[in-house]
Amino acid sequence: MTGTASDARLITPTMLGAWLVLATVPLWISTIGLYPYIGVEILIWSIYALAFNLLLGTSGLPSFGHGAFFGIGAYAFGLTQFNVAANLWVALAGAMLAGALAGLLVGLFIAHRRGIYFALLTIAFGQIFWTISVKWHSVTGGEDGLLNIVRLPVNLGIASFDITDNERLYYFVLAAFAVVVVLMWRLVNSPYGRILSAIRQSEVRTAHLGYNVWAYKLSAIVISAAFSGLAGGLFAMAQRSAFPDVMNLAQSGLVVMMTLVGGGLVSFWGPVIGVIVFLIARDVIGAMTTGWMLYFGTMFVLLVLFRPEGIAGGFKLLVERWKARGTAPEALSSEPRSG
Amino acid sequence: MFDLLPHLLNGLVLGLLLALIALGFMLIIGLMEQINLAHGSLFALGAYFALMLTGPKPPLPPDAAAFWLQIPLGWRYALALVIAPCLAGIVGIAVEVCMRRTYGKDPLYGLLLTFGVALVLEELIRLTWGTRDHVLPVPSGMSGAFIFQDLIWSTYRFYAAGMAAIVIGLVWLLIEKTPYGAMIKAGAHDSEMVRALGVNLSKLRLGVFVLGTMLAAFAGIIVAPIWGIRPHMGVDAVVPAFLIIVLGGVGSFWGAVIASLLVGLAVGVSGAYASEWSLLSMYLLLVAIVSFRARGLFGKKSMLEV
Repeated sequence: MTGTASDARLITPTMLGAWLVLATVPLWISTIGLYPYIGVEILIWSIYALAFNLLLGTSGLPSFGHGAFFGIGAYAFGLTQFNVAANLWVALAGAMLAGALAGLLVGLFIAHRRGIYFALLTIAFGQIFWTISVKWHSVTGGEDGLLNIVRLPVNLGIASFDITDNERLYYFVLAAFAVVVVLMWRLVNSPYGRILSAIRQSEVRTAHLGYNVWAYKLSAIVISAAFSGLAGGLFAMAQRSAFPDVMNLAQSGLVVMMTLVGGGLVSFWGPVIGVIVFLIARDVIGAMTTGWMLYFGTMFVLLVLFRPEGIAGGFKLLVERWKARGTAPEALSSEPRSG
Repeated sequence: MFDLLPHLLNGLVLGLLLALIALGFMLIIGLMEQINLAHGSLFALGAYFALMLTGPKPPLPPDAAAFWLQIPLGWRYALALVIAPCLAGIVGIAVEVCMRRTYGKDPLYGLLLTFGVALVLEELIRLTWGTRDHVLPVPSGMSGAFIFQDLIWSTYRFYAAGMAAIVIGLVWLLIEKTPYGAMIKAGAHDSEMVRALGVNLSKLRLGVFVLGTMLAAFAGIIVAPIWGIRPHMGVDAVVPAFLIIVLGGVGSFWGAVIASLLVGLAVGVSGAYASEWSLLSMYLLLVAIVSFRARGLFGKKSMLEV
């Protein structure tokens, strides 16, 4: 998607297809030996990975501390629920707002950076937030986490739905996912998104064209952090608790891995594919062996070495080869990166 | 004021240990412009290899094991200090060979590759040695404590700080005073020219990477008796290491050493007032300094800034 002509449609056939398939998941997921809760996890992590990919894939900003925003959203969801109002919309708004504010704070320090220095500073900020979440017992509950978060009913004004059941929760999260997909798609394909792509390709040239690169990068960080916070809030609701674990360096690295494995650098849907592959692999391989990270880590290393465009990139390559049958096959080169 | 002295001393010791941990990381980032996130895992691996060699059950055939266990602990420890880094160095060779494919690309690929390697190594450690904590046995002469100015001091900490200082000095001599150091530095500065002068650059890079790996493993052995040995110790080491490099400035040897001492002192002194939050002080120090000095204290412009 990135690099080709922008797609101005609000809803694409791919989206409709994806939603339809996802809507039927609770009907058959148990028959293939997976438990229904994994569907909820996949959708929440997909929101998170899509938000993350606005930075990595679209803007070329490698954030290794994104877990901080996810975790802050999770805590904010719980704290808003306990201290402000036990209303789903208020709590979710609280999660998004907290994520956005954290993103703004971090962004003010790092928005003028790029490349490796950007990555290193995001690690530092991730660790700062993680340390705070572990040590600030009175607010976050420390290592024990924030417990007793409830799955609040969906109040639509005229009717109110209860989502304590995993299947109902799944459909609510699916609705949230659909909204986020449309928003992200529009964002990436808007003039704003094109400028973010331009920044990825060359920050200097974009600046010379007269765009305020710093403001664009800062706003991308804030938006990405806000949606990561939303995902965190949903996660806290699904887990009925919030823990510091999701904020640590390894977990922040996981979202980078998922996004790259799926092919976030070359495709809008890459992060979603990565999340699905990762979480299902975790459950399937994890059920067979204790050291599943060994296999996934090895796969990731091989992927970085031989196919950094990820699964979506490999798929595109196959499609191009299929189309170019008869003529000499042409290798799909990876996206030119900034610098 | 006097109350602060033990905290200052502890901070100084911690600073020297952090410098030792960061040393290998610094060599690889400064001279090869590659970020080695597997540094922490190699650090952990060094500690586990030393545990294997000095612990009660060496992985040797029964006769050899019995013979090995007869050697006094002091000698076994001394041998482990040499052998364990060499074993880790072999792992380092494998990592570098994989890493070659990422040279010349965006440094992000090297970072991602080594992140994957770190995950694999940590999982391997878990599968081999289990998840529980281990204690690295040290010779009795180094363990224990002594009393000075009515305070109890751990002997081992001072031994470890001394070792750190010696190794830092040796690495400095290698880089600044030998032809190898000149080649390494020149290779980082202008690799094409170095190659044109007839230096085998890929061998040189392999050498630097293995040296960095061995230093990581050595640091792991030295620090293990203080921090304990557990699979997660790698992450506890790699985060301060990268932080120190950013703080000191990429490519600056003394910058890294000074940054380590600063971080050690910050953690030590803040530990005197709010021990719960002392770890936070190093991150705040980083943010404060890097906000004003974009390349750290002594950083020069490097490839990593593209």
